[in-house]
Amino acid sequence: MNALSTLGLAASSIIERPLRSLLTSLGIVIGVAAVYAMLALGEGAKKQVEESLNSIGTRTMQVWPDWNRGRSSQTRPSMPFTEEDIREMRAINGVFAATGTLTGRGYTIATDISDVNGNFLGVDPDQLKASGGEMKLGENISFADIETRRPVVVISEGIQQRLFDGQNPIGQTVKVNNVAFTIKGVASKPDSNISFGNDDLFAWAPITVARERVIGGNRFVQNHVSNIMVVGDIGQNLNSIEEEVNTILRRSRDLKVGAPPDYRIFSSRGWQEQAAEETKALSFLLAAMGAISLLVGGVGVMNIMLVSVTERTREIGLRMALGAKKSNIMNQFLTEALLLCILSGIVGLTLGFFMSKLAMDTMDVELVFSPSVALISFGSALMIGVVFGFLPARRAASLNPIEALRHE
Amino acid sequence: MAGEAKPVTAPSKSALISCRNLTKIYKMGQSEVRALDGVDLDILEGEFVAIIGSSGSGKSTLMNMLGALDQPTTGQVTINGENVGTMKSKSLAEFRNATIGFVFQQFQLLPKKSALKNVALPLQYRKPKVKDAAQQAAHALSLVGLADRSGHRPTELSGGQQQRVAIARALAGNPKVLLADEPTGALDSKTSTDIMKLMQDLNANGITIIVITHEDEVAAYAQRVIEFKDGRIISDKRNEEAAA
Repeated sequence: MNALSTLGLAASSIIERPLRSLLTSLGIVIGVAAVYAMLALGEGAKKQVEESLNSIGTRTMQVWPDWNRGRSSQTRPSMPFTEEDIREMRAINGVFAATGTLTGRGYTIATDISDVNGNFLGVDPDQLKASGGEMKLGENISFADIETRRPVVVISEGIQQRLFDGQNPIGQTVKVNNVAFTIKGVASKPDSNISFGNDDLFAWAPITVARERVIGGNRFVQNHVSNIMVVGDIGQNLNSIEEEVNTILRRSRDLKVGAPPDYRIFSSRGWQEQAAEETKALSFLLAAMGAISLLVGGVGVMNIMLVSVTERTREIGLRMALGAKKSNIMNQFLTEALLLCILSGIVGLTLGFFMSKLAMDTMDVELVFSPSVALISFGSALMIGVVFGFLPARRAASLNPIEALRHE
Repeated sequence: MAGEAKPVTAPSKSALISCRNLTKIYKMGQSEVRALDGVDLDILEGEFVAIIGSSGSGKSTLMNMLGALDQPTTGQVTINGENVGTMKSKSLAEFRNATIGFVFQQFQLLPKKSALKNVALPLQYRKPKVKDAAQQAAHALSLVGLADRSGHRPTELSGGQQQRVAIARALAGNPKVLLADEPTGALDSKTSTDIMKLMQDLNANGITIIVITHEDEVAAYAQRVIEFKDGRIISDKRNEEAAA
């Protein structure tokens, strides 16, 4: 008896009892559908979290002076950061960008015919990378601009719209505090995770020019910057970078061991990671629910197969008398259970795909068709077939033909 | 302990079936039941033998031994030159398939399969694979006069026709022996006569037939009648009428 005729035997046995086969398969269909839908949902959520973890905002830490110092408390005010700090941070392993910004808010940026209130910032070339913006026209601020103190400026699309009516402004002049800047480029506004609200009016000038000619210096340190942004490479552990940033800052401001820092580091990484953990837990929970329904389906299969073996005891006895070996009988019943589970698995997979599509549409999660998820849920159906088909098949194979033939 | 006292002779080489000191003991709790008690028996090729006896005489146990469905506690059963008593389960199955054709009292047909498929059933388990199983089954059906019923399911056939299908199934694999256990037990007397005549015809064409029965009318069709009681042979007679 070859594999093909065993398969034919199993198939005809399933077809000969259509209602029973249908009811038996229902448990597996639902189980596989649930496992698939749950896993796919979990994958979708995981992907979403991963994307947000890889987004520039999540990879960014911002370093600000501790504003609480020097006011009500008896502590000395925060020391400003310097360009030297930034240079050191840029050299940390795994840092994608490190930039210092000199902020000057509420400046009037004017042409000859109109003006607008916006954020005027002193920056270095890394600012664009770190803020997730991109050049739309012209060129970014360069290190040469900073060195040679060239009065150039990159404006945001918002300013381009307001002052130049969306026309190409490269080479034109704008005035900030009566200092004339030549427009060098137009950039998109920063990632909203980093920018100050939804404001889209920005003008970025070389940090040296901004400090010396518009915003003004600091009486404590030279080359001061208002705040620092450090962005890690994708997949980089931000904690180790934060440690090195701390080391650099503590050294540059000569903090004693154990002394509290006079600056604060902000990062959204923490709660993003927590979200990832929660998603993982959720996916696990969902998959466990699917697995339980699959298990229940499997018990259903075993139950029906046991009934089937009892009901067909005489048939088994007859087949044995006519020359069927134990292995033939075993294969017959195992194949039957397996075939039932395969068919149910196919139906369940299709059902699960549409279920997860529906769920993701309503939950606004991107549908991910993951072959591994399909493979896992289909594989579990196969496993159920083997595991829960085994006991009934073994029982069938171990029947004594004489007693089986006499079975009423 | 008559079995042990008896001198054991070697199995007959000329006989198709040869039993020597065949003993089967069933343990029922504390007590032992000797279903067969030192049976010596030779059946030649081409014989038509009836084994009779009341229930509990051991004839069913003997049938299980001769059909290679069960193995003796002690003693030997040699069928077609092979010692059935020492075979493993797998070889027993192959041996049954190749050597024995079973006919049962309750027909034992698969209700959802056509007559042809029922007849072809033993060929499914034949090694090497039978290529023209359908033709072979159809030929067997024609031997029992049911060539025109091959597509019918058992429920669409009369009792006598069902037993004919069962006989065709027993013949399909070209066995050495046709082993029939109360083949007319579920049939009326007229149909029984037809079935027994069919068996006589088949026997006339060369196949060895062993019928287990408790009815003397059935046994009357056989050439040789062996009577069992308490696990032993109490008579072994030529049936002059049938043999003639």
